[in-house]
Amino acid sequence: MSERTYNIRISTEVRQLVAIHGFRLAESSVNVLFGESGIGKSLIALTISGLLDPNELRVTVNGMPYKMYLASREVSEIRQRGFFVFQEPSSHLNPIMTLQQQLNEGHIAGADGEELILRRLWKDNSSEQIERILEVRPKPYRPSGGEKQRVLAAMAFKKLATLGKESRGALFVFDEPTGNLDDRLRNEFLDLLMETFRRQRMSVLLITHDYSMVSRLTKEHKDIGKDILYRELVLDHSQLRLREFAPGEYLSWLATTKKPSPVADTRTEPILRLDSGVQVFGRSFTFEHERNGGNAIPMTIHKGRITYLKAPSGTGKTTILKLMMGLIGPERMSMRILDSRFSEQTPQRMWQNNVWGKAMSMTFQHADEALNQNSDVKGVFGGLPSQLAKKDEAITRALSRFFQDEIPEDFLHQPVKYLSGGQKQRLNLLRSLILDTHILLLDEPLNGLDLTSSVKVFSGIEERLREGKGVLIVSHNEEIFDSMVAPEDVFYLKIS
Amino acid sequence: MATDGSVSPTVSGKYYRHKDIVWLTAWIAGMLLLWIWDALFLNKPALVRLQTALVNSAFTGIMVVVLSLLLGWVAGVVLHLLGRSQWKKTFALATLSVNALRSIPQIIVVLIGYAVLTALLHEEIIRSMFVQLLWIAGVIALAVVLEVVDTVNERIEYFRTLDFVDAMLCCGISESRIINVEILWKNSRSHLLHKMIAIFGISIFLQSSIDFIISVGLSTDVSLSNLPLTLGSLLATLDSKQDILAISNILSNPGYLPRLFITHLQGLSVAFCIVFTLLCMFNIANGFQRRLRLT
Repeated sequence: MSERTYNIRISTEVRQLVAIHGFRLAESSVNVLFGESGIGKSLIALTISGLLDPNELRVTVNGMPYKMYLASREVSEIRQRGFFVFQEPSSHLNPIMTLQQQLNEGHIAGADGEELILRRLWKDNSSEQIERILEVRPKPYRPSGGEKQRVLAAMAFKKLATLGKESRGALFVFDEPTGNLDDRLRNEFLDLLMETFRRQRMSVLLITHDYSMVSRLTKEHKDIGKDILYRELVLDHSQLRLREFAPGEYLSWLATTKKPSPVADTRTEPILRLDSGVQVFGRSFTFEHERNGGNAIPMTIHKGRITYLKAPSGTGKTTILKLMMGLIGPERMSMRILDSRFSEQTPQRMWQNNVWGKAMSMTFQHADEALNQNSDVKGVFGGLPSQLAKKDEAITRALSRFFQDEIPEDFLHQPVKYLSGGQKQRLNLLRSLILDTHILLLDEPLNGLDLTSSVKVFSGIEERLREGKGVLIVSHNEEIFDSMVAPEDVFYLKIS
Repeated sequence: MATDGSVSPTVSGKYYRHKDIVWLTAWIAGMLLLWIWDALFLNKPALVRLQTALVNSAFTGIMVVVLSLLLGWVAGVVLHLLGRSQWKKTFALATLSVNALRSIPQIIVVLIGYAVLTALLHEEIIRSMFVQLLWIAGVIALAVVLEVVDTVNERIEYFRTLDFVDAMLCCGISESRIINVEILWKNSRSHLLHKMIAIFGISIFLQSSIDFIISVGLSTDVSLSNLPLTLGSLLATLDSKQDILAISNILSNPGYLPRLFITHLQGLSVAFCIVFTLLCMFNIANGFQRRLRLT
């Protein structure tokens, strides 16, 4: 198996963004690249694919100025035979062309098997439904994130179909291609990719935070196991390093996570009860225990236990969490937290005085948006109603649980905007976890975290559970949370 | 192209990247050069008058900046909180008052303030020159405060749409801390500083304009002679006007040009101070906005 090695340096005028020595990419193989969000995975892939602007950034590849690298045969080869599926599909689709038109542009226009590709990627939809989805333009925001992501993936598969055997060794980058898809659709995508790889042997760089891909790939695609390489980008004493990642690291950890034995009996009163029939933005939501065809029941959170709320992307899980926190005014709602009742008529000051940071706290999904980017690390804890947040030593102690060896001396004064995505997510979680609230709402708590950080976060959550707090989790990492949460605590959100 | 893959910025690129610093340096250097020239060639009484006028105008400008910042910060936050509270009538009344002030041209507001100052001087309620300058600064601050109120409000409203405000509220962080520390201090300092630079320029412009108007005379008892000396009032004196008019001499007699900078120094120096300060303030504000990519 031949490998290409890259030494890459990327910086702005102000600071260094990425510096890595010995980034390896195996040819005609599937290179699965893990690593915390913001560590530099996408930047490295963009650099290799020749997609950075040399006038915006200072870039060198193997000691070569970027303009020279862009003029090399390697880049022209990647451009001709390769493809890049971008992490954020919205900014890479033409807003004034329908999705169907964009699927038939340039040399991918005449590709065979488009229908088959679309049917695989839109497994749950009929041909008519797929046609309707593809008739729309990306603006104003009509297709969901998952739909746009699948359009870009479909383009890549069409290009592969066009190239046929000529795609051998060509670089196809998939940057978080399933971030907005649920488990079943993600698996379908992976299966399609591996089937194509078996036939065509292209070089795949699959960038992801989703460690549950490991399970799928090791279980369902054993025959090509030796062609699938798992690597992880890690920060080692502030130095970026590529390390081999053994699938067993994740699989054995997953095996150790087990459903916690309930501290409280399910017959005891929950500390939170939200009745089905919540109405907001003209839609009515119910909660059910089973994925298909359950009865509408109230969603409950018990002391010392995790409640897991599931639904396909875009159903409204985050809306429900915000509504439970009183951040969105519902048209109808009936909720009880401990002894207090909350409804659509509950005044704002009641949430302010009794809920926020007292009965309940919430961690938002995207740390980039949930943290003040112009604050420093210490400032993230400023104003919290917790004694822990008042002293530097206490904050450092709390941070050390999630950051361990990574905390440099001046960490408390580092600007949030310069932290990696994973560090931001840990700060985001820690801000809620250090509060002494009865209930914690966690929206996609593992977003952007690597396995080591995820394990630390779990131990933080378990500690809160042992203290008798209740936790509600919304997450697309079904494999992980299904293994941790008792079935009676799993709720499916449905639009009725 | 450098070996690190970067492209060396051109001279004009460098200028635009540091335009505010270039113009601030130019302003300080220009004023210093003028002072040295005047110290050498301007007669002593005129030099003292010029220095007094410059100090008074600068003091007034700084006070306008300070007062409008304080007033605008408080008014902006109060308006925002009223808008989100259940006191809808109070909010409507406050908005109406702000809009009423907005509908009056700034120069009229300042003129009214001067008229009241005239009355207070006439009644001998105000005597001290310091208080007079404070009064003038207060009046100009009132005329320009809406610039700050609008900035404060826009910034708060913008950040309200972002998740970090809700995320902080959910963790029990108080709304006043979120608005004052997280939004206005941590995220809007540069925007407010940019506004302050512009307001300093506006205040010099308004002072000079009003002093010119007053040079016609507000009443028989109060004239420029019993108001504090400022750059505008010094420019409105007969000597200065004659100095300015002398510029037209060089059209018919170009050989007169060198004498302008020796014989007509008072008027030219005052005019230079005003025009050069306005030009520099405009470019400093503009460059500052560009450098920090303020939107």
